[in-house]
Amino acid sequence: MAAPVLSAVRGWSGLAPGVQGIVLRLPGVTQVRWSRYGPEYQDPKIDKEYYRKPLAELTEEEKYERELRKTQFIKAAPSTKSSSVFEDPVISKFINMMMKGGNKILARSLMTQTLEAVKRKQFEKYHAASTEERATIERNPYTIFHQALKNCEPVIGLVPILKGGHFYQVPVPLADRRRRFLSMKWMITECREKKHRRTLMPEKLSHELLQAFHNQGPVVKRKQDMHKMAEANRALAHYRWW
Amino acid sequence: MLKEMMRFISRGHKFLLQLNPGYFLHTGTQAPQSTAVHLDDQVPVESPKVISRTSESDPAKHGEQHEGQHYNIPFQDLKTIFPHGLPPRFVMQVKTFSEASLMVRKPALELLHYLKNTSFAHPAVRYVLYGEKGTGKTLSLCHAIHFCAKQDWLILHIPDAHRWVKNCRDLLQSTYNKQRFDQPLEASNWLKNFKTANEHLLSKIKVQEKYVWNKRESTEKGSPLGEVIEQGITRVKNATDAVGIVLKELKRQSSSGIFHLLVAVDGVNALWGRTTLKREDKSLIAPEELALICNLRKMVKNDWHGGAIVLTLSQTGSLFKPRRAYLPQELLGKEGFDTLDPFIPILVSNYNPKEFESCIQYYLENNWLQHEKSQTEEGKKELLFLSNANPGQLERICAYL
Repeated sequence: MAAPVLSAVRGWSGLAPGVQGIVLRLPGVTQVRWSRYGPEYQDPKIDKEYYRKPLAELTEEEKYERELRKTQFIKAAPSTKSSSVFEDPVISKFINMMMKGGNKILARSLMTQTLEAVKRKQFEKYHAASTEERATIERNPYTIFHQALKNCEPVIGLVPILKGGHFYQVPVPLADRRRRFLSMKWMITECREKKHRRTLMPEKLSHELLQAFHNQGPVVKRKQDMHKMAEANRALAHYRWW
Repeated sequence: MLKEMMRFISRGHKFLLQLNPGYFLHTGTQAPQSTAVHLDDQVPVESPKVISRTSESDPAKHGEQHEGQHYNIPFQDLKTIFPHGLPPRFVMQVKTFSEASLMVRKPALELLHYLKNTSFAHPAVRYVLYGEKGTGKTLSLCHAIHFCAKQDWLILHIPDAHRWVKNCRDLLQSTYNKQRFDQPLEASNWLKNFKTANEHLLSKIKVQEKYVWNKRESTEKGSPLGEVIEQGITRVKNATDAVGIVLKELKRQSSSGIFHLLVAVDGVNALWGRTTLKREDKSLIAPEELALICNLRKMVKNDWHGGAIVLTLSQTGSLFKPRRAYLPQELLGKEGFDTLDPFIPILVSNYNPKEFESCIQYYLENNWLQHEKSQTEEGKKELLFLSNANPGQLERICAYL
């Protein structure tokens, strides 16, 4: 039983070696999601600048790396990653989270319509404002998007821990990726569930993003509620063992 | 075979070099133009290679030196001449930038040249603007309409003929002709906009017959056309008949010399296509059975003189036509093509490199391209690749960047 588990585990590239060790040690635990690529497969490099560097400019290390990559196996690049100058990993992640049933075309078009709506609203405000206020109005939809998501990220989270037959909500520091995920998830659920049924997603999302950019609105309020709960349960913090 | 070749050429990245042999002849004279300063050209602050704006806002004075440059339409003109008829994305752009600027392009210049030399004694010539989706046919039509309105012509502008053959909620059986159907909402809407566009000329045209609307109302012979339009707007049931009367009177009196008539129809392939309208017994209605379409077909025939007819083909709103179809033969069908024959076809195509640069410059001047990378050379090359210099696609891509 252990041998097939071990051989399956070795094929898990992408897992940190520490986690691999923990998983190996727990009895009867078989990872369900695993990659078909073995550990010898390297990640693809999609950066155009990397390949455009002329041979003369490369250092010894880089030349060695290039030669090495010629002989190694390389994973296939996902079709959603491109070498476009306009590509943004945060936007791609958000689009994936908005997607339903694999309809990436719809999700992407909603995202572009949202960015356009944000831009047009900001332009309206800009034209209506006086010269002093114009310097403070941000018109770039991408900076607004990034700042809004950053403002919605919680710093500390709550985790249910079983102790003495009861579940206690224990405050716990969150990893970076968990924070980004929570911020995007809250934004999307807020727009889907709490708004009127007939309003379109770009309209709702652009409104929420602009509110979050100014640190107002329901998503930022949810983050602050989470912080207050964590503060209230401060006494339980020693239930955490990691 | 020739059609396949033409399609292959226009789809590739060759910006009309083969189809437009005159382009090479003009580049030699135009190259110094971008560095020299003309009296009527506005020079922007950073003096780039391509000038994107011109201060010449009268379409009559637009010539080849203005090719690729944007000119401003004053708001007053916009409200009177274009109450309807501008594409919806253009209207959004006008609202966002607080200015309406149109690019002066070769097909529009050609059309204006023909319109300037119309001989009003000969029968009306038909000009058909055709081209792939998003190349600028509707805006070229609007450019021609602006020119004619400035020259005080009477503008008969049907913004989208496709809207008259689909999605009609209320169809009434016509009182005038039992076989035909009336469309009160569309007709009254159109009459309102027609009145806004041509207010100043309507009082001069007198009706030449007596028209009886019902037992109590009638329009006497010799009363101004404005009364017929008022009747159509107030009594929505008679709106279609009012439209028919307006078209008939204008056609009869265009040769009299009081006014010049411009008939501008966008999406003229709707007149000879199919409809999606059904009778109460769920049987389909042919376009011939709609009174509005019948009257419009009579208008588009070239048996009157004293003006011109400018038409645009459009696949975007059309019914039951393949997405890639753009040639007149494909979109009009046999019946339409035979009715419109002979006409002057004007091809509207994607931007050439100079126009593309000018468009990007215009967006940069208005700070529309907010993404940092879109303002670099790399970004411009990528925009060119993504849009293939198609004006419609470029506008959509730049909207979210």
